[in-house]
Amino acid sequence: MKAVTLSNGWVRYRRQWQLQLFVFLGLVWLLLFSWAPLFGIVIAFKDYSIRTGVAGIFTSQFNNFKHFVTFFNYYNFATLVRNTLILSVTKLLATFPAAIIFALLLNEVRNKAAKSVMQTVSYLPHFISWVLVYTISLYILGEQNGIINELLQKMGLISTPIPFLSSDKMFYGLAIFLSLWKTTGWSAIIFLASITNVDPTLYEAAAVDGAGRMRRMWHVTLPGILPAVVTVLVINIGAMLGGGMGGSNFELSYMFGNVTNCNTSSIIQTYSFTMGLSKGRFAFATAVDLCQSVISILMVISSNWAAKKISGSGLF
Amino acid sequence: MRRTRGDLLIDIIVYVLLIIFCFMCVYPFWFILVSSFNEGHDMMLGGVYWWPRKFTTDNYATFFAQTSWINAIKISVSRTVIGAIATSLFTCLVGYALSRRKLMFGNTYRFLFVFSMYVSGGLIPFYVVLRLMGLLNTFWVYIFPTMLSLYFVLVGINFFQSIPESLYEAAELDGASEGCIFLRIVLPLSSAFVATLALFSAVGQWNSWLDSVYYVTDKQLRPMAYWMISIINRTQTNNSSQDLSGTVNLTTMATQSTAVIVTIAPILCVYPFLQKYFIKGMMIGSVKE
Repeated sequence: MKAVTLSNGWVRYRRQWQLQLFVFLGLVWLLLFSWAPLFGIVIAFKDYSIRTGVAGIFTSQFNNFKHFVTFFNYYNFATLVRNTLILSVTKLLATFPAAIIFALLLNEVRNKAAKSVMQTVSYLPHFISWVLVYTISLYILGEQNGIINELLQKMGLISTPIPFLSSDKMFYGLAIFLSLWKTTGWSAIIFLASITNVDPTLYEAAAVDGAGRMRRMWHVTLPGILPAVVTVLVINIGAMLGGGMGGSNFELSYMFGNVTNCNTSSIIQTYSFTMGLSKGRFAFATAVDLCQSVISILMVISSNWAAKKISGSGLF
Repeated sequence: MRRTRGDLLIDIIVYVLLIIFCFMCVYPFWFILVSSFNEGHDMMLGGVYWWPRKFTTDNYATFFAQTSWINAIKISVSRTVIGAIATSLFTCLVGYALSRRKLMFGNTYRFLFVFSMYVSGGLIPFYVVLRLMGLLNTFWVYIFPTMLSLYFVLVGINFFQSIPESLYEAAELDGASEGCIFLRIVLPLSSAFVATLALFSAVGQWNSWLDSVYYVTDKQLRPMAYWMISIINRTQTNNSSQDLSGTVNLTTMATQSTAVIVTIAPILCVYPFLQKYFIKGMMIGSVKE
């Protein structure tokens, strides 16, 4: 019997060899670019030098977690972890409600043309890289030639320029502001789409019952988009440490970080970047990356647990 | 519906808030555009907000006279075009194969792809792998590692499964090969998905600079975004000496704004046209959840 099913299977397999070939190509890609690097993590625990190449990954000596001890004892370790967590969490807390509010506001616009212009305009910043955001910011928020400071000084509101881009105290606020600017319009697309799926008779019924616009927004629109809200929230909490909805935290911190605000702008990823690429301490950088991944996974698991507690459904 | 005073008040609040937000989204770009058409030294005096005071196209002339930029634009354009096409085709192909119900071991395969989305070896091991494959310092290091978008494979599986099975059966009866079905049935039926995917990977390629920092040392292979960064870094070091000499880099702003406009322009030209597709495409992923 078994031989028969096996050979049946083989016949079926051969008949769909083209499909299997397509998947196989995908698997080859996975093997090369996703799984092969996984084995490389082992160098986080070793004295590895890039000069020894691939063979070095296997031959180099284990070093009793030396890199991890070095990282934990690094005098800025607590600062890095604090910044990483604060930036991720505050960005999510700000950008997520903003996207919902923006979608609700846009939904109140009756004029079709105005609505579509506003929507188009609002996700313009999403397509601009952080490099450009930084360059533009220099001239809008900068100390020496930023027009905000120029205007405020002309109006006599301030006597010395506000160091938006170069102050420890300003960085968290700056990061939140820029993330809002960059992602609000884009993230609102999903909510706008699900608003259009809300049954219009519900609005009519609510209006007949005497509900004003605010109450219709609160009692009809919001509950209508709640499933989309929960899904997007859980996905974003999962991706939070990587930057979540606000785009990459790394690029933001790397571009806007400088000597004057490094106490609040440096995060684990920028540190690992500097160590690995600029200083050539590859094994150490891998260990730092690994710490970040561990925190990330812990956050995914705990947020998923929280989502299940609150809404009854999580990602896994 | 009858409009009350409360309605009017809400309208006013809504419009005011939205207009402020939209102004904030657009004005920075407008300001940079103005600055790129204004004479550099004049711009530094301040006071130019809405319209160039001393109109000039010299900034652009100077910009395009530099051959290094021309080469960078070539690299950026080719990686964007080749990358977007390769990513779209390959991702659709794999997503389509994984979406077929008759695919043997389908569940195992799908699990492998989802699993891979959540794990990453980190930068250094990845670097070593690329080095092994001889991809470092080649143009292809921009293309191959991003050729499969796992997120879009998953979205694609959902999307392609909405194509009725009977279409496939009819095509198979007519003796169509899988490649033929993919090219002549699946792709044409999935224009919203393909357009979204292509736009995302094109914008990603166009804006990407980190991979050039990581994997490339050859100057001839640097894209636009990379040179933008190096311009900025140069300005930052210059800023420190600005107080001493006062006249340093007076036209840096002109160069930078010109570079910003040149970088943004292609995206701005393309995206209003693709907009209706990617709104549809974005919804594909969310509606299925």
